[in-house]
Amino acid sequence: MACLTFVLLLLASVILGHAVAQPATANAKPSIDVPQLFATTCGWCHSDGGRVAGKGPQLMDSQRSDDFLRTRIKLGKEGAMPAFGSTFSDTDIDAIIRYIRALKPEQG
Amino acid sequence: MSNRQDLALSLMLAVGATFAAVPGHAQPVDTSRIAAGSPNDWLTYHGAYNGWNYSGLDQINPSTVKDLSVAWIHVPGRSTRGLQSVPLVADGVLYYTGSYSRVFALNGATGQVIWSYFPELDEMLVARQTHSPYNRGVALGEGKVFVGTVDGRLIALDMKTGKVAWDSKLQDSQKLTVGFTGAPLYAKGTVVIGSQGGEWPGRGPIYGVDAATGKVKWTFLTVAPTDEEKKTWGNDSWRTGGGGGWMPGTYDPASNTLYWGTANPAPLYDWSGADWKTTGARPGDNLYTTSVLGLDLDTGKLKFYHQELPHDAWDFDSAVGEFVTIDRDGQKYIVHPNKGGFIFVYDSNLKVKNVYPIVEAINFVKSINPQTGELIGRRDFAAGKQAEPLCPAIDGGVSWNSGSYNPKTGMYYKIGNEWCITLDVVKTTPVTEPAAQLNIGANFKLVPPSEGQIYGHLDARDPITGAKKWEVRFPEPPMASVLSTAGNLVFVPDSRGILHAYSADTGGELWNHSDGLGHQGGIMSYAVNGKQYIAVVAGFGGMVSDDFAPTFGEPYKSMPRDDGVLVVYSLK
Ligand code: HEC
Repeated sequence: MACLTFVLLLLASVILGHAVAQPATANAKPSIDVPQLFATTCGWCHSDGGRVAGKGPQLMDSQRSDDFLRTRIKLGKEGAMPAFGSTFSDTDIDAIIRYIRALKPEQG
Repeated sequence: MSNRQDLALSLMLAVGATFAAVPGHAQPVDTSRIAAGSPNDWLTYHGAYNGWNYSGLDQINPSTVKDLSVAWIHVPGRSTRGLQSVPLVADGVLYYTGSYSRVFALNGATGQVIWSYFPELDEMLVARQTHSPYNRGVALGEGKVFVGTVDGRLIALDMKTGKVAWDSKLQDSQKLTVGFTGAPLYAKGTVVIGSQGGEWPGRGPIYGVDAATGKVKWTFLTVAPTDEEKKTWGNDSWRTGGGGGWMPGTYDPASNTLYWGTANPAPLYDWSGADWKTTGARPGDNLYTTSVLGLDLDTGKLKFYHQELPHDAWDFDSAVGEFVTIDRDGQKYIVHPNKGGFIFVYDSNLKVKNVYPIVEAINFVKSINPQTGELIGRRDFAAGKQAEPLCPAIDGGVSWNSGSYNPKTGMYYKIGNEWCITLDVVKTTPVTEPAAQLNIGANFKLVPPSEGQIYGHLDARDPITGAKKWEVRFPEPPMASVLSTAGNLVFVPDSRGILHAYSADTGGELWNHSDGLGHQGGIMSYAVNGKQYIAVVAGFGGMVSDDFAPTFGEPYKSMPRDDGVLVVYSLK
């Protein structure tokens, strides 16, 4: 068990180090459509496209830093938020963060 | 090891004097014992194959219940997403599971640990999963305890020692990202377990496994098992899949039939509008999602079925494993709740005999024809924001836990939930390979029904006609199972953490006690050496209960979500 935790930590730090060290280049294209991603996956917990709290916190107007958001999306939080580090590239995650930062209350 | 021997020895000494029902002396747990359902035991998920969730014990009753108090507790540890399982009891030993499929065998009279088993799971996979790592219980049979895991295994443990008898990898969860959270069902040499499904591409298998060896005997795909059913998934949309049978159903020994409920198709919300037969995400009926199935236990062959919601466009699946079997006037009925808030009544071949709603806040259909089960006035959404909220909410008019049928009162006690969601249906690209987990197809938010507040209620109804005798309301929907007893009591473990006992006749509250954590799992009763116990798991957090803190505030905001405790009551 301790061994596994260690491996996980090691892996986490590798992923994390990677995330911080290599911000995606500005001209790389994300492979995902973020609004669709919220409708299929994220919005199930981050209600109303991330605008209000549900099973997960409200993402609109988040006071968290980009690095924090990036790390949470990559590593998740066991039993609360799935880890998406093996699913999305850094470019994808940049696009997700841009979507979160641009969220506005729904009109009407 | 020597510790365990010490424990076993002291247990034998302690136990030898006080009760005779020590493991080892008893008859093996087999199909006939489970079918007969002795009141001292609780041998399968729903108590017995009749699916009643009922205890024939009456020591705890309206005149004694005031003396009900905690006999012992057990803390399983690492209760990520709380506790959701139903304890089983055979011959004085209680078996139950916590998160990560941790299994415990406890002395039913004292809570002393006889053995425990913590499987090593694929932690990297668990970290990627949404519906994880909770577990909803074990099955017993042939001297073994069977448990599923979220990384796709079914494990058999020796009932006496907890030693692994076999450990079978049933599905490639690393690829599919889903495994097993529901309890297995044991019957006549076969262990049956259904995969998670619904939100994932995959075909939602139900497995029949040889109890002696762990070898798969048969697999039933709940999504398009043959080319015939593929026709009910236009544009090859069976590839987006869904389905699954993540709660244990039940078994009828007389006809060797397994009754099982299936989950929804993916994406949950379709953008087809009224033309769902020809357009949208998955044109057609989408067999066999949101259906009840009758399978042959030995072969897994489909004998008959009823699709409760053809082309389910609302995530109101049929995965609830409750098949309440009732004989009335020489006719056999099977009562099955659907997540949409309707109760379906069938004959033993799953032919519709009646359908009635137990929830007020329903607008996904105008009604369901009680003679045929046909949906009348269904609401099929086009892409975009829906002007009127969808009722019930995605959390269900009926949730996955069980109600209780009491043969003494003839009443069916069942929780209904009144809540809705705003809905913005989004047209998405088909998800045909496991990727970023879920496939919902909409953005939504929990809201109250138009005529007032969110609430839940316990109804006492005639199970066949649906006639309501009384109702008890709760400010927040209770998420746990209900137990009724021959002692004329109905127990409701509520979401705030209070265990209530009501008169089974009138619904009058007779007793309550706080378990300190919200309930969202099982409750059952058993006896050791002539003494009746009530066992209930407490521990909140999970797919539905995580909506409670943002929706209701306290006491949910302050409630720990990754804790759990098994609380066992008896008379002072
Ligand atoms: C199963 C529910 C669930 C799903 C699905 C989910 N999240 Fe989360 N998310 C959470 C929870 C719960 C937290 C808060 C974790 C904590 O800190 O306790 C969270 C936190 C976050 C945070 C950090 C915000 C903050 O203020 O703490 C971000 C960013 C985030 N999620 C993005 C996403 C994205 C993007 C997706 C989809 C790819 C997603 N989430 C899918 C449940 C979920």
